[in-house]
Amino acid sequence: MIHLRHATRRQVRSRARTAPGRGPRRPSRVAALAAVALALLAAGCGQRMPHHTEAELQGRGDIQGSIRFSWWGSASRNDKTNEVADIFEQDHPGVRVKREAADFSTYFNRLNVQAAGRNMPCVTQLQARQLNDFTDRNALLPLDPMIESGAIDVSDIPEDVLDTGRGPDGKLYMLPTGIAYDALTVNASLVEEAGAQLPPENYDWEDYGHFLESLRDGLPEGVSPANYQGGLPNFFIAYLSGLGEDLFRDGRLGFSRELLTDYWEMWVHLRDEGVTNSPDEVSEEPPSPEAGYVAQGDVVSDSGPGNALTPVQSALEGAHPGQRVTTLPLPSGPAGTGNILVSSGMAIPRNCGNVPTAAAFIDFWANDERSGDTYASDNGAVSNTRLLERQLNDPDLPETKKHELTLYEELVARHPENVLYPPGYTAVFESAFTRAFEDISFGHASVPEAVDSFFAEANAGLAN
Amino acid sequence: MSTAPGLAAVRTPRQSRPAHRPRPPLFGRRLTRSPLLLAVARHSGLIVLLVVMLYPLLWMVGASFRPDNKVFTTLGLFTGDFTTSNYSSGWSGGDQLNFSRFFLNSLTITVLAILGNLLSCSLTAYAFARLEFRFKRVLFALVLGTLLLPYHVTMVPQYILFNQLGWVNTILPLVAPKYLATDAFFVFLMVQFIRALPRDLDDAARIDGCGHLGIFCRVILPLSVPALGTTALFTFIHTWNDFLGPMLYLTDPDHWTVSQGLGSFLDATGQSSYGSLFAMSTLSLVPIVGFFIAAQRLLVEGVATSGLK
Amino acid sequence: MKENDPGGARGGVGTLPGPGAPAQAAAGGARRRGGRAARDNRAAYAFLTPWLAGVLVFTIGPMLFSLYLAFTRYDLVSAPHWIGFDNFRHMFETDPRYLKSVRVTLTYVVVSVPLLLAFSLGLAMVLNRGLRFLTGYRALFYLPSLIGGSVAVAALWRQVFGEEGIVNKALGAIGIDHGSWVGNPGSALYTIVILQVWAFGSSMIIFLAGLRQIPRELYDAAAVDGAGAVRRFRSVTLPMLSPLVFFNLLLGVVNAFQAFTGAYVVSNGTGGPSDSTLFYTLYLYEQGFAQLNMGYAAAMAWVLVLGLAIFTGLLFLSSRYWVHYGDER
Repeated sequence: MIHLRHATRRQVRSRARTAPGRGPRRPSRVAALAAVALALLAAGCGQRMPHHTEAELQGRGDIQGSIRFSWWGSASRNDKTNEVADIFEQDHPGVRVKREAADFSTYFNRLNVQAAGRNMPCVTQLQARQLNDFTDRNALLPLDPMIESGAIDVSDIPEDVLDTGRGPDGKLYMLPTGIAYDALTVNASLVEEAGAQLPPENYDWEDYGHFLESLRDGLPEGVSPANYQGGLPNFFIAYLSGLGEDLFRDGRLGFSRELLTDYWEMWVHLRDEGVTNSPDEVSEEPPSPEAGYVAQGDVVSDSGPGNALTPVQSALEGAHPGQRVTTLPLPSGPAGTGNILVSSGMAIPRNCGNVPTAAAFIDFWANDERSGDTYASDNGAVSNTRLLERQLNDPDLPETKKHELTLYEELVARHPENVLYPPGYTAVFESAFTRAFEDISFGHASVPEAVDSFFAEANAGLAN
Repeated sequence: MSTAPGLAAVRTPRQSRPAHRPRPPLFGRRLTRSPLLLAVARHSGLIVLLVVMLYPLLWMVGASFRPDNKVFTTLGLFTGDFTTSNYSSGWSGGDQLNFSRFFLNSLTITVLAILGNLLSCSLTAYAFARLEFRFKRVLFALVLGTLLLPYHVTMVPQYILFNQLGWVNTILPLVAPKYLATDAFFVFLMVQFIRALPRDLDDAARIDGCGHLGIFCRVILPLSVPALGTTALFTFIHTWNDFLGPMLYLTDPDHWTVSQGLGSFLDATGQSSYGSLFAMSTLSLVPIVGFFIAAQRLLVEGVATSGLK
Repeated sequence: MKENDPGGARGGVGTLPGPGAPAQAAAGGARRRGGRAARDNRAAYAFLTPWLAGVLVFTIGPMLFSLYLAFTRYDLVSAPHWIGFDNFRHMFETDPRYLKSVRVTLTYVVVSVPLLLAFSLGLAMVLNRGLRFLTGYRALFYLPSLIGGSVAVAALWRQVFGEEGIVNKALGAIGIDHGSWVGNPGSALYTIVILQVWAFGSSMIIFLAGLRQIPRELYDAAAVDGAGAVRRFRSVTLPMLSPLVFFNLLLGVVNAFQAFTGAYVVSNGTGGPSDSTLFYTLYLYEQGFAQLNMGYAAAMAWVLVLGLAIFTGLLFLSSRYWVHYGDER
């Protein structure tokens, strides 16, 4: 922290210039006050991480005291999460789980500020997409020693799924607990009304195009066959994955400009064919799935989170009573399935002072039947296959949830590709991708121009 | 030093214009001089404008009484299916939502923040407006400087500081700085108000034997009611609506404020409930409206009657 | 200063913040009596104690720290790494989005500030006096300002300016077909302008306070002179209110340069579509908290401070020519 000490000196000097030299308050007292504040600041920034013993790194030790636990979600998920944490507290008298919930859009901003203060919660929920923002800054503890010591049991989690929590060094930094996937969400009632058929099993992008065209003339006024989603990163990843291409290689974009040009030209073509809605509509679409166009009955098909099926169906029921929505895998390609898994899970930050309890909590979350039943795969299908079976066998499982979990099982059976997201994935790649396509849609750039500027921006940002 | 420039400006035309001819009205003949018709016209104009401006809010109120999954189905205000379930489930649905607590928390923080700002900003403003002291220019430049720096960049160092002080997850980071006049906007506002008060009142009080504290309490404060009212009102709104601060510092749901509670209705990765969001947003306006009605009398009437003339 | 000065109360709200004027007055007093200066000095610092403590503990440290960060690369977790002026070079030479955000912000300032001032002044004049239910009207017109940056606003704005919004429904009724206003890069910025003007209540309140203070005699005198409504506005209201216009203008400009919440909420944090609402502070926030370039964000912030200082400085200079203070000769 050489630079920091340097800064402190500069700060003190410059304060001496502005602080009142004379006055009834002795300058020494004033200076002392400021010095304390600056010292605290400097200490906070240069603060060392706590030292962990070998046993602690293995998650062994007394399970007691308090830990903080943070996750993202809205009110209904918060309730389920709280219930699980309550059960854990009952199992371990003397343990307190302090909960910190926030909604997804603000969660990561807060987490970054907490990270700056070395104050991340002991059990921090992360997503594979943001995981390496944290591993890159060396903010997380590897979980492998805790797995070897038996503190965290992963025997019921499929290997493909577990791998989604690994960092670039191959170590496991996040235990995947809930696995989401994107799916083609289709308003089946409107398809039927248009006299068309759902895309066939293992359909590819060409089939999808035909499907959209078959819908074009039979839909009610104002309803489009598809959302104009050429700017949606997840859809493109499915396209890449179907071709067997890499999204990233060595921390840079792993695919060619030609490939992206083809992809975006395909979308422009779809729009010219009149099977999509307008870019204006897409850019104003609210982020919550149940306020989205498929859920409101304005669009027949779109790529969306598979675990949103239940809320989307409920919203559609309100907007157009009787209409039914379903989900299909995303289009496949020559190399197989287009779907990839998007896992969420739990990590232990380096600043955690109570690793054994944190490890015990993660183990409980991932393996305990009561935990699985209570949480009920609220944020993606539960990663533990034993718990997943229990849920699928539950006769009270709602129809849409059952569909969601069954589709998940199908997708996992196809061994989807695992994407190692580089640091800055969300902030750099996703936002640049969407923006570049918007430039095409709104006529600010041609497809090749947009591809070039996207490559330049993404590669520069990822190299940072 | 007497003639207000406005008056001079009015007089000039009279001198330059021939006095015998009345000036023709600017917009042709007046339509009417009947005060009743005029009032009706003004009221209807205002009401039309109000309806246009309040449409989004009225729509929100209407939507808050629709079933959760029918919220977005109409641009109209009311539909057939009326329900208050958004209010009951939003207020205390599940075990984490507890709006009676959130309202209490918000109210506590807001009241403490208002008191802090009133006290500390007026003290500070008195010094800058009435007293002469070393480094005054530099220090006042500092007040303005803090106004110009976007708060996002000081957020992280401040978090580190509060974390070191052990204040995270308490209301102190949101309240304590207000007692130390860190809201430069209000210092600036009050300096300008106080500087406008005639100094002869100070002098009179000094002759009566008042010190600076006496002048501040007996002369300046009573005359600054409008400024204090403005400060209180703006602090109320700002604190009540603040989301970023509570989000960072009040992590325990027991400490959540109303704005955090509202934030918990939407989530892109799970189930959102717009109905409850609109219902609770509607309710969250009630205290501010109440405070506004109370405070605006103070500040608007206060200026008129505080004897500044 | 012993005058029957009705302008004083208003003049104060907008007078130059430079401590010059009261400084002279107090200095005059100090010369009259020898010990007064020292006593004032002591008293001043006693009054300033809370503020000084606040500055020293909460403000100066973080401010200077952010200034230091402006010359570093800092990802919020690793130690800041000194890189000299690289952040500033990147800003002006190799970051097209930065320049875009400057353009967006300048457009916003130029369009929204005059609109906001005109609108709030106009309504303040209507709601000043001579009408029943004034309190009720004021409260109702103030309502939009209260909802602020609530998450609900995004949904409300779509209901108004979206593809299927009420504005397009109204336009459709008279045969005009228009796409989304919030979703189109050509118009999205202006929906944020309208959002800002919609929440005009705070500047209206300040204008109202000022209008109450204009003595009726001035209007009566003007009426005797046969001045019409426009003439009265130009010759009495505007000059008498100019300090407040100045105050609201200054704060309006500062706020507009720092505008964040409206665009953040409506564009869902992206500054979209196509960067058309990428406000300066929105981009700063994205750099600092999403892309984790806090050093760059800090550099952006200090460039903004510099720009604002110059801008407000010019505003103060210009105020000599158009702002009339009550206590001027």
